[in-house]
Order: sequence, then C-alpha cells, then structure tokens
Amino acid sequence: MIFITHKHCTKPPIQRLCLTCIYKERDFYDSLLFFATFFFPPLIFIFTIFRFTKREKMRGRGAKIAGVLPFFTLFMAGAISAFEDIERLRIWPLPAEVSHGGRRMYLSGDFKLVTEGSKYEDTTEILKEGFDRMLDVVRLSHVVSGGRNSSRSGGSALLQGLHVIISSSTDELEYGADESYKLVVPSPEKPSYAHLETKSVYGALHGLQTLSQLCHFNVKKKIIEILMTPWNITDQPRFSYRGLLIDTSRHYLPLPVIKNVIDSMTYAKLNVLHWHIVDTQSFPLEIPSYPKLWNGAYSSSQRYTFDDAAEIVKYAERRGIHVLAEIDVPGHALSWGKGYPSLWPSKNCQEPLDVSSNFTFKVIDGILSDFSKIFKFKFVHLGGDEVNTTCWSATPRIAQWLKKHQMSEEEAYQYFVLRAQKIALSHGYEIINWEETFNNFGSKLNPKTVVHNWLGTGVVERVTASGLRCIVSNQDKWYLDHIDAPWQGFYDNEPLQAIKDKKQQSLVLGGEVCMWGEHIDASDIEQTIWPRAAAAAERLWTPYAKLATNPDKVTTRLAHFRCLLNQRGVAAAPLVGGGRVVPLEPGSCLAQ
Amino acid sequence: MSPNLLLLLLLLLMFFSLSITSSLSSPSPADSPPYLWPLPAEFSFGNETLSVDPAVALIVAGHGGGSPIVRAAFERYMGMIFKHASGRASLLARIRFLRMVEYDITSLKIVVHSGSEELQLGVDESYTLMVSKKDEQSIVGAVTIEANTVYGALRGLETFSQLCAFDYLTQSVQIYKAPWYIQDKPRFQYRGLLIDTSRHYLPIDVIKQIIESMSFAKLNVLHWHIVDEQSFPLETPTYPNLWKGAYSRWERYTVEDASEIVRFAKMRGINVMPEVDVPGHAESWGTGYPDLWPSLSCREPLDVTKNFTFDVISGILADMRKIFPFELFHLGGDEVNTDCWKNTTHVKEWLQGRNFTTKDAYKYFVLRAQQIAISKNWTPVNWEETFSSFGKYLDPRTVVHNWLVSDICQKAVAKGFRCIFSNQGYWYLDHLDVPWDEVYNTEPLHGINETSHQKLVIGGEVCMWGETADTSVVLQTIWPRAAAAAERMWSTREAVSKGNITLTALPRLHYFRCLLNNRGVPAAPVDNFYARRPPSGPGSCYAQ
Repeated sequence: MIFITHKHCTKPPIQRLCLTCIYKERDFYDSLLFFATFFFPPLIFIFTIFRFTKREKMRGRGAKIAGVLPFFTLFMAGAISAFEDIERLRIWPLPAEVSHGGRRMYLSGDFKLVTEGSKYEDTTEILKEGFDRMLDVVRLSHVVSGGRNSSRSGGSALLQGLHVIISSSTDELEYGADESYKLVVPSPEKPSYAHLETKSVYGALHGLQTLSQLCHFNVKKKIIEILMTPWNITDQPRFSYRGLLIDTSRHYLPLPVIKNVIDSMTYAKLNVLHWHIVDTQSFPLEIPSYPKLWNGAYSSSQRYTFDDAAEIVKYAERRGIHVLAEIDVPGHALSWGKGYPSLWPSKNCQEPLDVSSNFTFKVIDGILSDFSKIFKFKFVHLGGDEVNTTCWSATPRIAQWLKKHQMSEEEAYQYFVLRAQKIALSHGYEIINWEETFNNFGSKLNPKTVVHNWLGTGVVERVTASGLRCIVSNQDKWYLDHIDAPWQGFYDNEPLQAIKDKKQQSLVLGGEVCMWGEHIDASDIEQTIWPRAAAAAERLWTPYAKLATNPDKVTTRLAHFRCLLNQRGVAAAPLVGGGRVVPLEPGSCLAQ
Repeated sequence: MSPNLLLLLLLLLMFFSLSITSSLSSPSPADSPPYLWPLPAEFSFGNETLSVDPAVALIVAGHGGGSPIVRAAFERYMGMIFKHASGRASLLARIRFLRMVEYDITSLKIVVHSGSEELQLGVDESYTLMVSKKDEQSIVGAVTIEANTVYGALRGLETFSQLCAFDYLTQSVQIYKAPWYIQDKPRFQYRGLLIDTSRHYLPIDVIKQIIESMSFAKLNVLHWHIVDEQSFPLETPTYPNLWKGAYSRWERYTVEDASEIVRFAKMRGINVMPEVDVPGHAESWGTGYPDLWPSLSCREPLDVTKNFTFDVISGILADMRKIFPFELFHLGGDEVNTDCWKNTTHVKEWLQGRNFTTKDAYKYFVLRAQQIAISKNWTPVNWEETFSSFGKYLDPRTVVHNWLVSDICQKAVAKGFRCIFSNQGYWYLDHLDVPWDEVYNTEPLHGINETSHQKLVIGGEVCMWGETADTSVVLQTIWPRAAAAAERMWSTREAVSKGNITLTALPRLHYFRCLLNNRGVPAAPVDNFYARRPPSGPGSCYAQ
C-alpha cells in the first residue's frame, strides 16, 4: 500500500495527508495486507482501495479518491517494483543488498549472544556491550514480557539468540578497515539463531544496528518481533569517512550531550565525530603542556579535562566512531591568548596567531603532542580557513618580521599552515585542512593532506585532480546550521558529482555534515542535527545505484527513522520544512 | 531518644552561631548567591571549601533509611555529581599511585524516620541537610540528611547535589561556603507539570526524561493528559478497542508501560495523575467504539444518552485504578461544545424526554463521571468550567483546576473547594511568548487572603499542551520556565516575592538551566523572550 501513496503524493501537503491515512492503519487490514503482499498482489489492491476509500470517506474526500482510481489501476498493472519493495523495509541507511521473505519471528525473552567459532575474543566487551545496547534500543523502554513463554509467542518461530562470527581478532579501530557484515535471520522453519558474520567487531556493530531496525515491539503480544523473515543482508559502506562536526567553542556542550550525539550517530552508521574543539570564542579543553590555555574557557565550569576528552574518545571508539580533533590555526584561535597573551599579535589585534613568534609553534607542538596521547585517529584537523591577516601587517613587530623574511601576508599564511602541518606530521598524524589552504597554495601542501571542502563547487574535482584526498562538506547542502536547508538537499548532495575518473573518485574519502555552534547549545543540538544528518548518512553509506534519484521517494522511510530516533530518546525534528522545525499541529510522528 | 535530642541541640547551636556571622535566608545581592534552585526555606552557610570523596559512603538510619528508594537515589546522584572522567572511578585508581588523598567528606548519612513508602498528596517532603567538616569533636557526620519520609530524603539529596561542584583545578568535587545548614520544606503540596500524549505521542524514554528532570526542580506531580480527541494511546484491557484510536501501532503505551512510568516516577517522589477528559475531548475513543459518538458525522462530545458511554468510563477507570495509585484523578470537563447533542436526533429526543437543556446534560455527564471516579476511591479533579457552570452541584471533594479565568481559585476556595492554579496567561508552557520572569512572578494565592482559604489552594501546575510539542521540542519548551514556577511553589512566599528578581533569582536560574544542560536536559536559554528559541549567538551558558 505504501507505493500507492508514493505515486499519489507528489506535492508536500497531500503527502502529509497520505502519510496520516497510511499510518492510521487498523490491525485487521494490516494483517490482511501483510499476507496479501506476498501471496496475492491483486488482493492487496482491492483491500487497499477499500481501506483507502473508507478512510477518505470518513474525511469527506470520497470524490477525490474516485478521481484517482483509474490511476491506481494503471499502476497496479505493473508488478511491485524492486524500489517500492525496498522502501517498505524501513531500514536506514539502506543496506547494499537485501532479500527477505514474509514470515514472522519472535525474539526469545533471553535472547542470547553466541560467539562460537569467532576469532575475536571480545576481552574488552565491545561486542557484548554493543549487543546489550542493541537489545535496549529494541525494547524502547517498553516492558517486554511473554518472550520466555515459547508456546505463547509462537513456538518454532522463536529466535533464541544471535550467533556472531568475527574473523579478525583485533579490536583496534582502524580507519578504512573493513566495516562490512552479513546478517541472516532465518524463517520459522529453521529457527533458533540469527547469524551475523563480519571481518571486524566494528562491522558487527553495524550489523547489530541493522538488526535493531528489523525488530519491532508488538504492543499486543508485548514481545519483540521480526517481520518478513527470512532476511539475508549483505552490507558495507560506500565511503569510509562519514562524519559529523560538533563545535564546542561557540557553545560548550556538556559531556552527556556529546555522548548522546555519539550514540545517535551510530544509529545512522556515521563513523567520524569531527570535534571542532577550539575557536575564537572559547578554549574549553585542558592542555597539560600549556595549562593556561583553558583559561580561555567561557567559565571555570565550561571545560573538558584531559581525562574527559580521553573518555569521549574511548566512548566513541567503542561504538566504532573515530574522533577527529581540530585546532583551527591560525585564523580561529583568539581564545588561546586569554591564557597566553603573547600569542596575539597585540592586545587590540588578537587574531590570527602571531606568525612571527616561535612560541606560537611551540604551543601548537605542545597541543599536538598532548593530542597524540588521546586522539588516536590517524588524522588531525588543522583548520586554516578564513584567515584575515590584517593584524599581521598592522602590528609593527610582525610587519618588520614579514619584511625581514620578505614575506607578503599571503606567504606568511602559507608559511604558518605548512609549518603547522610539519608539526602534526612529526606527531604521527596525517593532516586535514579546510579548502582555503588548497585554494591558495595547493601545490605546496604536504601530499598527506586531506582537503576539507566547504565553500565552493568544483573544489573536489580540482583537489582530486591534483592527487590529494578530499572530504566533502559543501555549505549550501551539508551545513546543518543553515536551518533553511531541507533534508532533501542533504540527501541529494552527491560527493562524486562530476567526478568520472575512477582514480579521482577513490580520493574522495567521504563527506561530513557540519553542526556549527553559533546558535547551537545543549538545548537544540539534537533537533538541528536530526533528521537531516540521516539523509546525508544514507548518501554516504548506501551504494549509489540504490539511492533514490528523487529524495521525496524516501520520505516514508526517513519519517520512520526519525520516529525511531524519537523512540530512542533522540530529539529529532519533524521532516516537513527545513531544519529544526517544530510540529505545526497535532499528528502522528510518522506523518510529520 | 537522647542521641536525637543531642543532635537537635547541636543543630540549633550551629544554626544560631552561623546566622550571626553570615547574614542569611535571603542572600543580599552583594554576596554571590547560593546557587540553589528552588531556594530552601531556611539556610545558612559559611566560608569553607570542602572536598568530597568520590567513594563517599552511604550510611542510613531510621525506619526508612534502608529503603531501596533511598539507595537508588543515592546511586543516581553519585552518577550526576561525579560525572567527569576524573571523578568517581579513575580518581580511585589515582589515589593508589599518589599518596592517600584526604577528603573532607567521606560519608553521607541519610536518616529517614518513617518506614512507609506511600506516596500521596501531602506526603511530608521536609528535610534538613547539614554539611560540615568532619572533626574529632563532632559526633555529626560530614553530611547528614534527615527527613521524615524517603521523599523528604530525595529532596535533600537533590539539594546536596546542587551544593557539589566539580573543581577543574583540583579535578575533584567541592562544596563551597560550608558549613551548610539547610532546613527545607515545600510551600505547596501539589507542584505539577502537565504532559499531553494525545496531540503528540511521547515515547516512554522521553516521559522518563521529563520525570527525571522534574525531580531536579522538586516538582512532584506529573499530570498525564493521556487521551484527547486526536489519539488514544493507552491500552485499556476492559475495552481493548480503545487504543485503536492511537496514531499508529508504534505510538501506544501498554498497561505495563504505564505501570513502569508510575514506578519510575515514584522512585523520584513524583505522583502520576492520569486524566481522561470527558465528555468534550474524547473523539478518539470512538475510533474503537463508534457507538460513543453521537453520530458518525458528529463525534464530540461523547454520547450522553447511552449507558454504554458510562460503562466505558467505568471500565477505563477500573483499569487505570490498577495502574495509578495516586488519590487524585482528573476528569477534564473543559471546553464542552454541546452542538452535536443538539443536532443528533436520538440525543435531542433523549434531552427532550428528560426536559434537559444541553447544559443540564453537561452537568449530568460530569456529575455521573465524578460518581464513577469516587466509587473507585478516587478524588475527582475537574477543569474550572465545571465549577463555573454548575459549581454548587459538584461533589464537595472536587478539586477545581483553574486555567481560564484568573480569579477562579479565589471563587472556588470561597465555596470550600480545593483548587489547583494553572492560569493560562502565565503557566501554559505552550504559550511561547511568556518569558521566565512572568512565570516566576505569578502568585497562586494572589487575592486570597484568608488563611483557611489559602489552605485550599493545594498548589499549581504548569501545562505543556502538545499541539506543537513533540519529542523534538518538549523538554526545551518545558525548561527553564517550569523551573520558575517550581520555585514559586516550593520556596517561601517572602523569598520569591521581595527584592529585584534580576538579582535574587536570575543568576540562580541561569545556573540551574546550565545544571540541567550538564545533566543532559536540553533546557533552552533563559534570556530569550520567546521560549525554546536557539541561543542568540555564541556565549557562555551562564550568560544566556
């Protein structure tokens, strides 16, 4: 029945209406439709029309439905197309390959994790904790009962547990490593265990996320069920870098808030938290080598200890998420000077960092040295965007230094960035820089540089043509703080747009949605991120061929994912409109 | 007996000696205010800084000290107080490497006199909290919370947690301005927050987040407006088709879910008052039982003529009685548009047969529903229209719930009814154009001067109607404004009514809002004129 609405709903207002009626399903029709879907397609048609007409009449719109009947008939003449079938699956992001049947299974009350035959020993319990989290989100805080009683819940249709086989023994979270998984949920004839096979434990975590989305709480039987079994899912991400930026300088984000963001990322299979820690406004992180730096925090309590940061990294890594730390030099660093005023060109001209002073680079070295103890990701982000160099010329001391070294302001900018790059390399990091560095002196950048696009179009082509790697975050589509940007644009934004060459394509590591913090604090971060970040997450995960060419086709499935986030306690906003919209009127979560 | 007396003497001594040195109970703006919200009834403090052991031990005493409610609350608050990585666990490890670290506060003593865990309207929530450095002469433990009931102890724990602050330099938890002596109790026994799960379904996890956040502001009644015309999300076993009126299969609560919510709330000293709003706000009932509608084309209010209507009400109330132990039950009764009764033939005939006007029928309906509630051992609460339309017929036990007219409590208590204050101009949280200070300055006892009348105002409630509030915005629409009302209802009238609130309340409210954020509650900026708006620009939480 879902596909009928798709065809029917082209304009947003009607679409909302349709969603309402579809989701106002009555169980009787539900079950009929469910069987009909698989055994007798013409039957669905009749029932759907019947149901549809009935509801529409209740709303006094019988005439309207009669008008589109011929259209339905035409449509139904074709078989159920693969696309519509996929859209019925309610999995977000869509897996690479899925097949399923039409039977119903139940989870046993003591649904177990079994790992016999797995090379991975789980001594750090990454898998076990992931499994427990999966069960938690599946229960959605409902009181689950009856699962233990196999006769009540359907006997042979009872799943005893999940058998996970992981072939790699390491639990090192390595960038670019295999994230694939293969998930099989049997049909009632061959019950007992679902199977999850992966290379690494982090692939297994993705498989657990997918499994969690197959499970539903049955409010009548009060147990967890999986519909449409057997399932065969083979899945892997399209891009290895699927990021989300948070900004703790414009507003401090308390620890539980960051942890909630990390948890919500796992639901959409994002894997890089880009932590824009410091900026002009505040310096919240403790740096043991230069203990006065966090004097630049907003207040004595809006800070992260070094241990806090280590804890965040650990928390993320155990969920398969890398943490990319950023210090944005030299342009976005005014707050550094609160603790060390000599980093400013002068008291009244405080940005960018003083390029002429060795102390500046000693501090950067100290920070990156401290970083290397806790931020284990292979990349560090050095910023380098929006550098207004007028303070350098305006400060006599620096102007003299420029003159002495025969440098223009632009050259000094290049000098700064390249010197910072060398420091990062010396601490074992590869570097990510914002695109201005490439636009201004791309040929000089270290070949290990990853260029982070944000400003313009065409940058990705130029970067990859020059042989450097690239991350896509074009602000017109993937900046979450642009709250007038609708989710459709997030879905539509193709990182490989206009890049035909295979070699060049492989240099695009992925993309990132950016949650800049000027107007974002603990009160509105989740609803500004979600559900739009999810739209980008599917773009970054799902094979190109499976992505919808018209984003509106995935509305129902995305609405379902948004409600799933809500059920899991994530404050994802309604879909209708831009970002962070509030519901305009009463209604089902699924219809808004 | 004698240790108790000794304790009391000591307390008195401490209190007097301290109140001489530091001028107290209402802080002068020159001092940095004590960052407590809501402000305790009486308190005194000193000038010492004490460190708190991450492995602080819980010592319990009294008949109720061993209650699992106390133990669970202690664990919860320890998690909140020691949430930084260098807090609880890792510091313990660190101590082994460094020399033994001496903490000033190593134990928390909780004395609960009553062994009863019954949570009802008017339960004793008073407590005393003492924080002082442990020394040899003192027989008093470092921190002592003494209360008559476990729920008083919970309030004391909340206050204690607000005294604790993570110090980033020593990377340990500190209590400033010790020693503290706090003697506290609420001004009103009913301090409510309404949530509305009919206009938008709120997932169980979200309801729990709301309940948890209420306990931080010492609110104690969750008014659960479960059902309305838009949807019927709750399972009612006696009439199993009712929840067909839910928005979808996924937007429902089972009986067990509801019981779990009540249990979760009780662990935090919060009562849950359910509402079924009859006869006006009940269209969704008819999705499962169309007979409840006057007709298919005219669906509200519920059909007053049928016994079936009252059977269903009785069935719902019987089912709910098993879930909700609170003595108050809300029967709604507001905004009843009786046109459908007038325009439906069989209802019209029934009215004529009884010589009823539609208003008579409205009265008949409400009173009959009241009797059903009373027969199930419930005290009915009704919205104020019932009082203004036929007040003298209401059961004398009725609690009148104000929302519309500003002086309705005044009138209701004059007639001997109890009243709950929810003036929509100020305490409706869905009104986004009411800033915090207007919420704060709204006084439930305004215009009620006789003590006997004042006593009948059992409290107030802020209402989070759900038309434009779903999971994505409900918490930031509630907070921080609900906190403004919470202090009005908890603290003494003098404390909240005098002085310049920009100095006496605002800095503390800023602080409390950031405390909510730090505990993961997405409370919106305080300073925005419109509620739930994003921060106006970069800045400190404490300045927005």
